[in-house]
Amino acid sequence: MKARWDIFCSVVDNYGDIGVTWRLARQLVVEHACEVRLWVDDLRAFERMCPEIDVQRDQQWQEGVEVRQWPAQWRDTPSADVVIAAFACQLPPEYMEAMAACERTPLWMNLDYLSAEDWVVGCHRLPSVKFKGVQKYFFFPGFRPGTGGLLREAGLLEQRQAFQHDGAAQQYFLQTLGVFPAAGARLMSLFAYENAALAGWLDVLATDGRATHLLVPEGRILGDVQRWLGVDGLAAGDVHQRDALTVQVLPFVRQEQYDRLLWCCDFNAVRGEDSFVRAQWAGRPLLWHIYRQDEDIHLDKLDAFLALYTAALSPAAKAALVALWQAWNADGEMAQPWKMLLEHWPEVSAHAETWCLEQGLQADLATALVQFYESWI
Amino acid sequence: MKTGKELKPGTVIKLENDPWLVQKAEFTKSGRNSAIMKTKLKNLLTGYKTEIVYSADDKLEDVILDRKEATLSFISGDTYTFMDTTDYTMYELNAEDIEAVLPFIEEGMEDVCEAIFFEERLVSVELPTTIVRKVAYTEGSARGDTSGKVMKPAKLANGTELQVADFIEIDDMIEIDTREGGSYKGRAKK
Repeated sequence: MKARWDIFCSVVDNYGDIGVTWRLARQLVVEHACEVRLWVDDLRAFERMCPEIDVQRDQQWQEGVEVRQWPAQWRDTPSADVVIAAFACQLPPEYMEAMAACERTPLWMNLDYLSAEDWVVGCHRLPSVKFKGVQKYFFFPGFRPGTGGLLREAGLLEQRQAFQHDGAAQQYFLQTLGVFPAAGARLMSLFAYENAALAGWLDVLATDGRATHLLVPEGRILGDVQRWLGVDGLAAGDVHQRDALTVQVLPFVRQEQYDRLLWCCDFNAVRGEDSFVRAQWAGRPLLWHIYRQDEDIHLDKLDAFLALYTAALSPAAKAALVALWQAWNADGEMAQPWKMLLEHWPEVSAHAETWCLEQGLQADLATALVQFYESWI
Repeated sequence: MKTGKELKPGTVIKLENDPWLVQKAEFTKSGRNSAIMKTKLKNLLTGYKTEIVYSADDKLEDVILDRKEATLSFISGDTYTFMDTTDYTMYELNAEDIEAVLPFIEEGMEDVCEAIFFEERLVSVELPTTIVRKVAYTEGSARGDTSGKVMKPAKLANGTELQVADFIEIDDMIEIDTREGGSYKGRAKK
């Protein structure tokens, strides 16, 4: 009998919550033959990455996943075998009562945030509170052995490598988005929160000896791009050129399309959690805009990832990459770090592929969750 | 009730009707301003130990404990003997029961501690918020800094290492804030 999974997703802000849970739900269905209900409290956010979603419907099926509107007034629903509270969201009290009333106690997990910090290994899979006999566990994704790993679909890296070796497929894909980069131009993508460091970076790209074609999917960074361009508004499809820099705004695309976009680009600026992981699977150099937290806690998390990611780089390449990432996340000056990075481009590019393949040796997050459930029962 | 964030070594919470002593509590900020507390707990009835992670806002039933003043009498191996300062009763604790304060426990210390009792049994001790200890070893001042902002490592008599101001020398007495693992506070007045 198929295991039944309930994944609860509360969309707090942006698209990371739904992005991660939607990928996880589909992977559990396709690769692990699970029955999955995905409870989402904001279907409009979901609709951006899955346009087939009918935001009016309480219940619908998308790619084998039962998508349920998480209602403000909870209705009696039996508990699943495995219950995931994504990103520490609070389950409906009535649902917790249903969990406690189950003949066979369900496995209840808090799927926490991604971090490269040391403490994650020590907290992964540890028990937490109990509710009327139902034990909650903490489950942490991560980059190190001893964590839950990263979301990665079966065959993803092989698909990516094949695509990157197929120039025609890349060209066709870009054409479907209306992207026609000039021959020899450096193709880059930009997905970030508002960032005061952007103007300095665009300045240096515009004055570079090599042309850059910058693809900007619709999102929060668009206002800063618009200010730098000095235009009244920006919308999907707009293309603006400033010296060596071409800026093109893209529509918000589906996850599969975004993956391909990352695979096409020579360099990807990403943010948060979902796009950050996908950029690593692209095997290309990247720049991470981390989610800002109180008391600058995010900078510790940034440093923890940088320490892992740059461990195998030469001191000079490491210094360039660290300087660029720190400037990007502290509203710093981007010109000099970017120039330094370009000097080490071959090494940084080769390292991005090596890092990707190393991370690919770990069990993926969905498999790790299933294995935990199987060992738990 | 206590929240996960409020747990600290010496706290006793009730889980499924059993009293559990918090032996260690590590607070960590997770993502998007949420936080967790990783705890090491000991069941005071069975002695069983476990590790549990709490969200900062989890609500936990705490147990009201008796507290008395006590001083360290002597150390014998892993056993630490404390004396009630009012009736001179002696109580023993194992090193693991006081793991959180162990780095600042040393033979001959005169600090008046707070002894924590559960059903008349000593289960833990808490140090005063500020204690004074002698620096057993530290390197000389590297930069001649007198501001107190430049730090360097130092060792106490029991081997505990901590960061102290650059101007601190061997045999100096320093003040230590014992909260959150212990940190250098300043040079003690002579």
